[in-house]
Amino acid sequence: MKLLMAVEVVARRQVTPRVVQLTLRPAKRAAFPAFRGGAHTILVLPDGKRRLYSLTSDPDRPELWQVAVLREAAGQGGSAWLHEAAAIGTRLLASHPQQGFALAPEAARHILLAGGIGITPFLSMLPELRRAGADYEVHFCARSEAEAPFLPELRAALGDRLRVWIAQRLDLARLLACPAPGTHAYCCGPARMVQGFAEATAHWPAGTTHVEHFAGIPRAEAQQGEAFEVEIASSGAILPVPADRSLLEVLRAAGHGVDAACEYGACGSCVVQVEGGEPLHRDVCLSPAARRRSMTACVSRGRGRLRLAL
Amino acid sequence: MTNSYPWAGRLIAAYIAEQASMEMEELPAARMIEGVGIEGDRYATGRGTYSYKPHEDRQCTLIEMETLDALRRDHGLTLEPHESRRNLTTQGVPLNHLVGRHFRVGEVVLFGGRLNVPCKYLDDLLGRPLFNPLLNRSGLNCRIIKGGTIRPGDVIEPV
Repeated sequence: MKLLMAVEVVARRQVTPRVVQLTLRPAKRAAFPAFRGGAHTILVLPDGKRRLYSLTSDPDRPELWQVAVLREAAGQGGSAWLHEAAAIGTRLLASHPQQGFALAPEAARHILLAGGIGITPFLSMLPELRRAGADYEVHFCARSEAEAPFLPELRAALGDRLRVWIAQRLDLARLLACPAPGTHAYCCGPARMVQGFAEATAHWPAGTTHVEHFAGIPRAEAQQGEAFEVEIASSGAILPVPADRSLLEVLRAAGHGVDAACEYGACGSCVVQVEGGEPLHRDVCLSPAARRRSMTACVSRGRGRLRLAL
Repeated sequence: MTNSYPWAGRLIAAYIAEQASMEMEELPAARMIEGVGIEGDRYATGRGTYSYKPHEDRQCTLIEMETLDALRRDHGLTLEPHESRRNLTTQGVPLNHLVGRHFRVGEVVLFGGRLNVPCKYLDDLLGRPLFNPLLNRSGLNCRIIKGGTIRPGDVIEPV
């Protein structure tokens, strides 16, 4: 459900020098739609930029949502705008909850691994774990205490369940060496940490490891690759996609209103259906089944000619 | 020959969306602006998904409540009136037979421009496979010939 809702910023809190927490209320409905811990929303800024943020508030409080925004020094201006210009009273649009990442209800034990701003999807999972009386532990890695968002609150709320790794390497391979039956592990953090998690859990049973991607392939690489072409099924038009442009750019230039949000292959907003040809998938969000019939227009490419159901 | 097959229906509800992809809002009364659209709606302000291809038939869109009931009955699919992206939900109105016809909604007169065609965009927006079940009954795209204010319960009838 990618429907957008009008929301208003009703509170702001500087959590760390680079992270601001925004509290949002629905502007035209009494309460937000339900979500489960780990969901994210797509915020649409006034200039049309779309940015994905994990919902950090308790799912049992539908009257407000909270998100935490890391100011990206080398970003495209979206996070900077939210830091500088999204004052109390600002109107934005927010999508219905996007639920890719969630707790496994069947798990007997949960191991949550967060790096830096990657703590955010776990913040809305924690109230669910507490209410369920679940067995869980949280490992939180950060460069410094001052840069670890929500650390004081987490320490107060979690006590011994929280292990903090400040400027000290968490040995993922050791921690995750022996998967106990019924244990699920979850990771959200920088690309290097997610990669380390994938390697450390390669031997875990299928379906017991869960990753939330904050970054797909680097932006500079995202829009480039081999040249290819696409055929539009409805019109028969052939559109060349040169090496230095993305399929998304080419489709939009040709008048196709393809949605997009992250533009690095992580959110699935720009998925287009593929009827023929060989796509070269570079996303981090589609399942193998979805890849057989669709592709992300923002980062994925093709060999030769693809036929798109547009 | 103006009305060889008499019918009369009702307006169930009226909705607008401020811009493309935004949730629709139910209106207690909709102000229909002749030749433009519905006050506050995305196609009256040029902020709709298809506003880059302006067409007078997009001023106002209608769908039958009977279609939404059939989706539930025959396909187990829920499509609430406020999710349909159509402005007016009707009951007892043969929309498919009003292409090229004038008809009245309360004090307003509409002209049936063309049948609405379902769009994969709705499937993506709602995450439900609605495209095929909506084929041939996706509603009617209309021009507003005579403006005015309409409310749920208003009679819809041939002119």
